[in-house]
Order: sequence, then C-alpha cells, then structure tokens
Amino acid sequence: MLQVEQLRKAFDGFQAITDANLSVPKGEVVAVIGPNGAGKSTLFNLITGHLQADSGHVRFKSREITNLAPHKICHQGVGRSFQLINIFSSLTVFENIQTAVISKHRLDRKLFRPAKRLLVEETLEVLENFGLVDFKNHSCSSLSYGDQKVLEIAIALGSKPDLLLLDEPTAGMSPDETRRIVNLIKRLSQQEGLTILLTEHDMDLVFDVAQKIMVLHQGRTIAQGLPEDIRNDKSVQNAYLGETG
Amino acid sequence: MDFATLASQLFIGLSRGMIFFIVSAGLTLIFGVLRITNFAHGSLYMLGAFIAYSISIFFGQGPNGFWLALLVAPIAVMLISLVIERGLLRFIYNQEHLMQMLLTYSLVLIAGDLVKIIWGTEFKSMNIPTILRGSFNLWGASLPSYNAFLLIVGPIVALGLWLFLSRTHLGKICRATATDREMVDILGIDSTRVFALVFAMGGWLAGLGGALIAPTTTISMGMDANIIIYAFLIVVIGGLGNVWGALISSIIMGVGEALGILFIPGVAIIIPYVIAGVLLIIKPSGLLKSAW
Amino acid sequence: MSANNSSTLKMPQGKFRAYLGLGLSATGILILLAMPTLISQYYVYLLATVFTTALLATSLNLVLGYGGLLHLHHGVFYGVGAYTVAIIMTKTSWPFAVAVVLGPLVAALIALVIGWFCVRLRGLYFGMLTLALGQLVWAIIYRWNALTNGDNGIHAIPVPEFLTSVNSVYYTTLIILCLSLVILYLISKSPFGLTLLATRDNPMRSESLGIHVRRHRLTAFVIAGFFAGLAGVLFVLVERSVAPSLLSWNKSAEILIMCLMGGLTVFMGPTLGAVILVFLSMFVGLYTEYWLLVLGVLLLILVLFLPQGILGYFIKSNDKKGGV
Repeated sequence: MLQVEQLRKAFDGFQAITDANLSVPKGEVVAVIGPNGAGKSTLFNLITGHLQADSGHVRFKSREITNLAPHKICHQGVGRSFQLINIFSSLTVFENIQTAVISKHRLDRKLFRPAKRLLVEETLEVLENFGLVDFKNHSCSSLSYGDQKVLEIAIALGSKPDLLLLDEPTAGMSPDETRRIVNLIKRLSQQEGLTILLTEHDMDLVFDVAQKIMVLHQGRTIAQGLPEDIRNDKSVQNAYLGETG
Repeated sequence: MDFATLASQLFIGLSRGMIFFIVSAGLTLIFGVLRITNFAHGSLYMLGAFIAYSISIFFGQGPNGFWLALLVAPIAVMLISLVIERGLLRFIYNQEHLMQMLLTYSLVLIAGDLVKIIWGTEFKSMNIPTILRGSFNLWGASLPSYNAFLLIVGPIVALGLWLFLSRTHLGKICRATATDREMVDILGIDSTRVFALVFAMGGWLAGLGGALIAPTTTISMGMDANIIIYAFLIVVIGGLGNVWGALISSIIMGVGEALGILFIPGVAIIIPYVIAGVLLIIKPSGLLKSAW
Repeated sequence: MSANNSSTLKMPQGKFRAYLGLGLSATGILILLAMPTLISQYYVYLLATVFTTALLATSLNLVLGYGGLLHLHHGVFYGVGAYTVAIIMTKTSWPFAVAVVLGPLVAALIALVIGWFCVRLRGLYFGMLTLALGQLVWAIIYRWNALTNGDNGIHAIPVPEFLTSVNSVYYTTLIILCLSLVILYLISKSPFGLTLLATRDNPMRSESLGIHVRRHRLTAFVIAGFFAGLAGVLFVLVERSVAPSLLSWNKSAEILIMCLMGGLTVFMGPTLGAVILVFLSMFVGLYTEYWLLVLGVLLLILVLFLPQGILGYFIKSNDKKGGV
C-alpha cells in the first residue's frame, strides 16, 4: 500500500535520512524502530508532506505522493497521529473529531450550514469506538493525559484513513494506559482491517503488534522483515538491540 | 540628471539610513532578546527629540546645548525605558504577542498626549551648532555637513554595538538569550535582568536617534508614528533580532527613499512600503538570519 | 479548567443560553428600532456611527479572534470600501446601487491581493506584511490626488434623497449591521468557522487532517475585507465624506482595541467594544482634549488585568468551557 524508496533528507548539512526504504502491505501493522535520532520522526514527516524530501520516492496505492502538500496527502487516505499531543485545545472533544470528519467529507469550506448538526453520527461513532463519548462536551484540555493521547489518535481516525501513521503512540504513558493503546491498535487492525505504520520505543509493544518491522539506523534502512527475522538479524543486533541491552 | 545631484541625494539617503539604523537597532535588539514588539519605540525616539530640544533651549540654542543634549537626552530616555520595563513590561512576558503589542501601543497613546501636555502642540526647531552647519563640496556635489556628521555617528554606533555584542560578557549573554533562552536559564543567568538591560539600551538608542534628528526637522507630534512603522519594516526585512540585517535594510530604506524623492517626487512616500512589501514577499524570513 | 466544571455544562443550559441570547437580541433590536423617537438627533447619529464601527470590529475579529492571525491593518479595507463609494459618486454618473455593491467587492478584492501574500507567512511576519502592504494602500490613496483628492479627502458625497435624513441613515445602518452580524454569526458556527478555529489552535494538525490552511485563512481574510468594506459604505452614508485617516494605522489599532476590549473569543465582543469606545470617546471629548491618554490608560488596564476582554471575562466566569 505504501512504498518508500531511497528517500533522502538533509537539514543544514546534517543528513537526517540517507537511504530509507519501506514497504507497507495492505492490512498489516508495520513498525519502524531505531535508536533515538535514527530519523523516525523525520521519515514520518517526509511521508506526510510536512517536510520536503531531497530525493527518493514515496508511493501510496501506487500513486506518487512525494512532496505533496500535507492536506493533499491526507485526502489520498493517509492519516497520522503525533508524538506529542497535538489536539485543538480550545475545542470540545466532539469538535476535535468533528473537524476531522468534516474535512474528510470536504465540507470544511461550507459557510452557511450549522456545524453543530453536521456529520454527528459519524463523529459519535468515532467517539464510541475510542470510549470518549462520555467526554464529548468537555473541553479537551480538561482530559487526562491518557485520554488526550487517545483523542490524539481518534482525531486521525476521524478522517477515515486507509493508512494510519502513529508516531510513538504510547510515549509518556503508564503501563495501564499503554495496554489500552495496544488493544486499540490490535482492534483497529484486526476488526477494521486498517493498515498501520508506527514508530515506538517500547519493544514489547512492537513485537506484540507488528507483523513487519523496519529498522532505521542513522537515517538508513538496515533491515526490513518479519519480527523473528529482525530479532535474529546480526546487523540489527549490532546497531540497535545491542545498544539497549 | 547630473552626477552631482545624484551623489548628494545618495549621500542624504545614506545619512537618513544611519538614523533609521540607530533607531531600529534598538528595536531589533528588543525583538530578539525580549521577543516583544515594542510600538513605544517610536515614542521613545520622539521623547529623545523633545528632551534634546528642551536642553538646547535651556542653553540658549548654543553649541554647548547641542552637545549636552546629544549626551543627556539618550540617557534620560534610557531611564524612562528602564521604568517602563520594570514597572510594566516584566509583568506580561508570558502573554501572547498581541497583548504585548497592545501594551506597548497603550504607551504610544499615553506618551503622545503627555508630550502634548508638557511641550504643547506648536512646532519646534533646534539649532545645528555652527561647526556642523552649511555644506561642503565633493567632486562638485554639495553635501550638508550635518549629514556627514550622521554618517560618522552611524558607523560608530554600529561598531560600538558590534564590540558590545561580540566582545563583552554581557553582550554574549544577550546574544545567547536571543538564540536560545532555555540554555541561558539553565546556566543560571537571571534573564529578566538581561531583559531590563536590553530594553534600557534599546531606549538609549531610540533617544539617540531622536536627539540626532532633532536639529534637522521640525520637532512635532506624529514623529513617533512616522518612524515606528519604518523601523518595524526595517527590523522585519532585516531578520528579526539581527542587528546587521537592520543595518542593511536601514541603508536600503534610506537610499531608496532618497532616490524616490529624486526620481518620482510625487509618489516617493510609497517607496519604503513598496521596498518592504517586495522584500517580504521574495524573502519572507528577512535578509539575514533571524534570531528567532 | 477541571473536568468537574465542564460536566456541569450540559445541553439544557446551552439551550437556555441560546434562548436567552435570542430574547435579549430581540428586545435589543426593538429598543433600537424605537430609539430615534426617544433621543436627540445627535445621539441617533452617534448610534449610527456605533453600528458602522461595530460591523468593522466584528469583521476584524473573524481573522483576529477566530483565525488567530495578527492582522494589524484592517482599517485599509474599511477605507477602500468608503473611497470606492465616494469616488463612484463624485467622479462617475453610475447609480448609487452600483457604488454600494462595488464598495465591499473592491475591498474584498484588495483583501484577496494582500491576503494572498500574507497567508504564506506566520505570526509576527504575517502581521508585519499586513502592515507594510496596508501602508502601501494608505500611501497610494494619500498621494493619488487626481482620484482621491489626497490629504483633503472627498466631501459632500451625494447620496439618494431617501438617505439624507439622520433617521433613515440610522435605520439603514442598523438593518445592515443586523444582517451582517447574522451572516457572520452563521459563518462562525459553520463548518468553515469550526475549521478556522482548528487552524488557529493547531495549523500543523489541521493540515494533516486534509485542511488547506492557507486557503482557509485567505478565505477568512477576504470575508473580513468584504464586511469591512461594507462598513466603509455605511461610513459614507453616515458622514458623507472620506479622508485618508480612515486607512491610517491608528484607526486599525483602534479597531484592534475594540476587539480586545469586548473579548476576542466572544462573537459579540467586538460590538460591545465598539459601543464602549465610541461613546467613551464622545463623553471624554466633552471634558478633555486628551482622549488618547484616557484610551491609553484604559488599554493598559485591559491588557494587565482583563486580557480576555469584558464579555470574555463574564462568559469565562459563568462557564469554564472554551476560552483560550
């Protein structure tokens, strides 16, 4: 579904991504791992158009999406969540999701239709799916950290993507909250057949949910394959697993 | 169009640029270090001119009055700035940009009327000391002496700022605060004292600009509005917080304005805005690297 | 803002507030309709000025409050709208209706051009470019003697017979203000308005949800320009003259202060700010020539002690939802 080929990106002479390659098959959960500073977030930003690549290709559903504007990439069917909490702080929980749903249906430029009654069912569906219905009229800044992180992911689902990118979905979370996210990822993948690409520090989580793993080291893809193969790969052990013990 | 006219107009433009630079250097320092959009900077400049005028009058418009005014007016404005920073600004450092901007704008309104109350509304003028009066000839071009004086003072100020920012401990702290405030906090430097210092220095520069311009123009209400918009544009097109960017764009503005007066006198007023608009459109982040 | 506070705010209360708002505005409009029979002509004229200013301030707030954009020179569109009418009525033989329609349209067009450049920049840079390009328009109007009569402005602008009495101007401005406020309110509550808030809160996230942030901001900018131009048309009806000071930077700052005073996050905030400032300047003007000093002190107090504005303050203390 998603192919990344020989992607390169430099910042002020610093080569952040030297040679990234990745293929994400439809319906699978793929994880990108690598030590801090390996370029995982940069890779995500390149895929979603928040950064411009120097060279290389990103293809989605066999269409070239390299260096398209972020909003165009979203309309192709790529959704993403962010590592830090990136929600609309002055809106209610309901409106946070509704904004995504409205944009998905390309109704965001309608001027004279009350937003309040627009696409309510679809928005509630997402809220229910994520267990956020009880909070729907709350200001999102009143939510707990864990709930905000769930909302962060839920917003991305509001635009009904075919491919969901999750950047460190459990960063800063307690074990309980992490379990909640793991179950969520599994459910999205198994029940809804969503294709997911994620980065994560928590190796237990990665080997638990991912069907395929790509290892990024100093901006370069050094291995890509099934979890067992990655676990046994010598270069990966040297570069990464060795480091973390 | 002969060479002499062009040369003397260029010369005048350059010296105007020096005034722009002295004023906007203070503004850009404040921008860079305090991250505050100081609309009151124009008012400080106006205060500098009025205070210089009063000092000069006190000494019967003689040469001593001029030199003393040049010395004392900037210091007086600096003290006023210090009061503003300690008394008001430091309470709003955590507020959003618009609020900080409006606070400094409230000072513009207050200062404008206070000047009216203290000095009255009639136009005032200040004498140029004899030594700087008249003009001299250079390759057939007639160049006013006072503008030559400005062309000497401008680079001295630039040099002084450079020495301060690159050679002194305090200057290095200022630059560090502009580029990476968290780092400065981590090093245990009291950044609010740096803020007070920079704001006072900015005020000194604004006051100096006002005192320098005073003998060349009618000192009147509205001086503040004229300079502040220019200074803002200069600071932004130079790159926020970058003193050298401010120098370059001041010269561009000064020369551009002077050439505009020479070639298209009827619409010369629009020249600075056209320059600023075009530069912002083709180089939105400023000519030189911004401190932000 | 704890969860407790917001959970007390359930639908019924929201509905109650909506009805309360509706009832209040209906009463308000009735009182305003009866006004000319109750007060002297001078106050009728002053109210017409208030209406004009209220429309201007509310249009700015679409960009400033809802869009979160540092728009520093909104007076330009006000002036362009007013000058368009003035020039058409004095230099051409076109009918008045054309002038009235073209006023806001030309303002919107200028907003499109200025906005097209500005929306590519962010934060302070956006603000500075609005300032530079706005000053450019001001300077052109100030200098183009043949067309605009320069510094002197244009006076004794002819208007149709039925718009010559103070009362008819009063009702016209009132009706146009009400209609415009309804339209702007609908826009603020539309998908467009919601999305605009989202781009204000978090532009990057908005982009990754498929929102074309720049185009969205530009649309808001043009709509604001249109209504500012309409306010300019009303200004011509009220004053029958125009001058470059309409586009001066001080004017733009005054509009900003109105928005801030009423509250940037509240729809009726700018209207309240306009009412207060117009009346206050009139009353203060009776006692002293130092109105700007008073305004400055007022603004200082506002920024230091009431940054959320008057309406913003009351709504926040009633209801902990929302508020930025």
